[in-house]
Amino acid sequence: MNHIGQHHTLRHKRRVGRGLTAGALAASLFIAACSSSSKSVTPATSGATTTSAAATATTAAPTGGSTAGTTAGTTGGTTAGTTAGTTGTTTPAKVSDKALVIDRSMDINSLDPSVAYCDTCQIFLTAVYETLIGLDSDNKTLVPRLALKWESNTDQTEFTFHLNPKATFADGSPVTSADVKFSWERLKGLKGAASYLVATVKTIDTPDPETVKVTMSQPNSAFLAQVNASYLGIINMKAAVAQGATTDATTDKAGTWFQSNSAGSGPYTLESYQSGDSLKFKANDKYWGSPPTFPEVIMQQTDSAVTQRQQLESGDADIAMQISADVAKDMTSSDTVVKKVPSFNYVYLALSPGAKGGDKLTPTVREAIRDALDYQGLIDVTVSGAGLPQPSPIPNGFAGTEGLDPPKQDLAKAKQLMADAGVGNITLDATFPTLNVYGVDFSTAMQKVQTDLKAIGITLTLTPLELSVWATKIGSDGIPVTMLYFAPDHTDSSQYVQYFGLVPDSQWTTWTKQPVVKNETDLLNQAFAAQDATKRADLYNQLAKAMIADQVIIPVVNPNLFLASRSDIKGMHYSACCNLDLAKLSRG
Amino acid sequence: MPLLLLGIATIVFIVSRLTPADPLVSIVGERNLTNPVVVAAAKHQWGLDQSVFVQYLKYMQHLLQGDLGTSFSTRQPVVHDLSQRLPATMELTIVALVFGTGLGIALGILAARKRNTIIDHVARFFALIGSSMPNFWAGLLFLYIFYNRFHWLPGPGRLAARAKPPGHITGFFTIDSLLHGDFTTFKDSVLHLVLPASVLAWGVIGIVSRLVRASLLDEFSTEYVKVARAMGLRERTVVNAHALRNALLPTITIVGFLFAYLITQAVLVERIFSWPGVGSYAVTSSVKLDYPAIIGVTVLVGFAFLLTNLITDIVYAFADPRIRLS
Repeated sequence: MNHIGQHHTLRHKRRVGRGLTAGALAASLFIAACSSSSKSVTPATSGATTTSAAATATTAAPTGGSTAGTTAGTTGGTTAGTTAGTTGTTTPAKVSDKALVIDRSMDINSLDPSVAYCDTCQIFLTAVYETLIGLDSDNKTLVPRLALKWESNTDQTEFTFHLNPKATFADGSPVTSADVKFSWERLKGLKGAASYLVATVKTIDTPDPETVKVTMSQPNSAFLAQVNASYLGIINMKAAVAQGATTDATTDKAGTWFQSNSAGSGPYTLESYQSGDSLKFKANDKYWGSPPTFPEVIMQQTDSAVTQRQQLESGDADIAMQISADVAKDMTSSDTVVKKVPSFNYVYLALSPGAKGGDKLTPTVREAIRDALDYQGLIDVTVSGAGLPQPSPIPNGFAGTEGLDPPKQDLAKAKQLMADAGVGNITLDATFPTLNVYGVDFSTAMQKVQTDLKAIGITLTLTPLELSVWATKIGSDGIPVTMLYFAPDHTDSSQYVQYFGLVPDSQWTTWTKQPVVKNETDLLNQAFAAQDATKRADLYNQLAKAMIADQVIIPVVNPNLFLASRSDIKGMHYSACCNLDLAKLSRG
Repeated sequence: MPLLLLGIATIVFIVSRLTPADPLVSIVGERNLTNPVVVAAAKHQWGLDQSVFVQYLKYMQHLLQGDLGTSFSTRQPVVHDLSQRLPATMELTIVALVFGTGLGIALGILAARKRNTIIDHVARFFALIGSSMPNFWAGLLFLYIFYNRFHWLPGPGRLAARAKPPGHITGFFTIDSLLHGDFTTFKDSVLHLVLPASVLAWGVIGIVSRLVRASLLDEFSTEYVKVARAMGLRERTVVNAHALRNALLPTITIVGFLFAYLITQAVLVERIFSWPGVGSYAVTSSVKLDYPAIIGVTVLVGFAFLLTNLITDIVYAFADPRIRLS
């Protein structure tokens, strides 16, 4: 190379050097700027969980959170109570000036209170549209909310509610019996998913603005529990009608309006909702009860449990609602609190003898399947042991489950039953929806079931399908062996019998293509007509045993819930009726 | 173009109806599928109780009026949903495209000029990783490193959770915040863009840099470049003023394709980063068999592809004087 070339090369090298130096300096400044703008957080004391595409958040159930036990103190006589808007609190909670941020994978189908039907909807409805009856922190006792007191007749066909005269909607107008009548008639008339809760309501009379008298078409001892369900929240009739709301599905035009506006009496109002992004609540400054403790509540869409954990630990979120067991076990930061609590949600195996290919599922074979399952193994594999076995379709803690023995694996008995059945080795179609709910991955669970049943000569052909495709199959030919989940809509055990029992109009009577069992039908009718809570519990206990004997629905995992929040958040809980009652939360 | 879009809508309509899946699951929930009252009401409300042909005619009638129907899952007009989500996706993909194309061109030039040196090998390796690493994995990795581990950059979302979005003008948070003079929100929105845009851009860098490198090397072997060098022009002038313009012609073509490609690639990135764009909307709609939303997204993406092709042709004509539009 000549001297000119050397000169060019040298100049070029100097330019490259200056360029690299400038680039490094710019990068340093950029990183410094970013660091100064990011929050200062305390690093997690344990090793951070490596991110993994497999660690996905649970998808919330489309139906309500679970509720426990009997409707104590609500049969026959009147129940007097406090007039506080929030239940179960004795000292005023501290009011924060900082918005509460909740991470959640939302499953909202609608924000119209007469159409909404999902887990996230329950949280929203409870905060914005109050019900007449609330649920105490013990998840069992019904307490006054918009209604001060209530009574029912002895045959459970008439219910009278006396409204709190202090209760007002967010626009300041009083909550009246006309609003209650409109709300429940609209729920029934729009025929949405929750309309079944008022299907037995025959008439609603409003003798005066503070009295509501409901007459049922048949006895319904579950009605008070259903009134507590968030789906029976009360709408401001005047505000809704002004937007085209009616009680008839063919004329109602308010659906779109409810997606960005609210007309309730709760401590919060709807500020905004953007599907797939966020649901924002604003404090109701005119709330008639204890003042809301946050100026704003922001529920942000976060699909992954790992991301929820990251945001919680970073302080970008105050609550992470769907932390799974494997993510929770590594969360040891002193800035976060993780509590494991029992839930009323569960995953179950469904056996359909009437389905195509299900003819080999005789009662003996079904009993063998029940005995062959390794229940503890299923809990260990799916939720790392954070769960419980459950004997009957009525979940642990509900009326009727006292004294029921948890299911246990008995392989010897299962093999003997298979030998008695004389069917030899059999192969069954096991198509199931590809779901991950409450931390239970269905693919993992079904593989475990497949392994367990292989030991007694039953081969399952696993076929995972998207839920909408699975629904087509189960609604047509049926599926001999499948899996699904359940979370309750209200506190009464009747919903389980109505859904799982071999009774008229039961979903699983239809899907399993099994005949109705008269004994179960009679027991259910008796329970609906029973005024006494103890008698009802006894009837549901008989029903629980009858459903176990049906050998059609086998609960496999009753997973715990992990309540994860920042350590300064008070009142974190699992509400049996509402998932999470925002009115009970505070900061500091 | 309108006929093409109608054709796309028709095909998607037929395919979605032929899919052996039940859209009622997302409307009423699987627990009400055997409730005849609820099912009948839902079918009537959404027109699913009519014959497929009647449903098609009604849909096309509305489509010709610019009405894409109402989403089963959001209960909002699909046009409203898309208008909410499109700016988010556009903001992300435009930033990723500009960033990725710019860096890709720079890297390609560097690799070409430093051919067969360590710099060339590093640049090509970097490009290879970008092209081959699944972007959902890159997203999770970036979040873990830059957000969770070192707290250098913010986490998912377009803004901090407690931040107020700027008043809507374009829907681009960066532009809208600037137009409102809200520099705090501008900074927040830019920082939130860095990670997801980087994930998307990495793939673009890979494709563009390799293309630019190859094109430049072809140009370096041409006579006019040899003459320019022989005339003593600086290498930077030879490359930037002469060779690059010709080498960029294929890149212009590929950038047009990349833009539409990025919109589809944004799907997983939007899920990982909780970015409320069209991609995540498309996934949710598909899973829930939300017919109106599926068709709406498909029509939109089809329109994007067609428009992108048209713009590419126009830009190409400006870049290359030998091309004339007929």
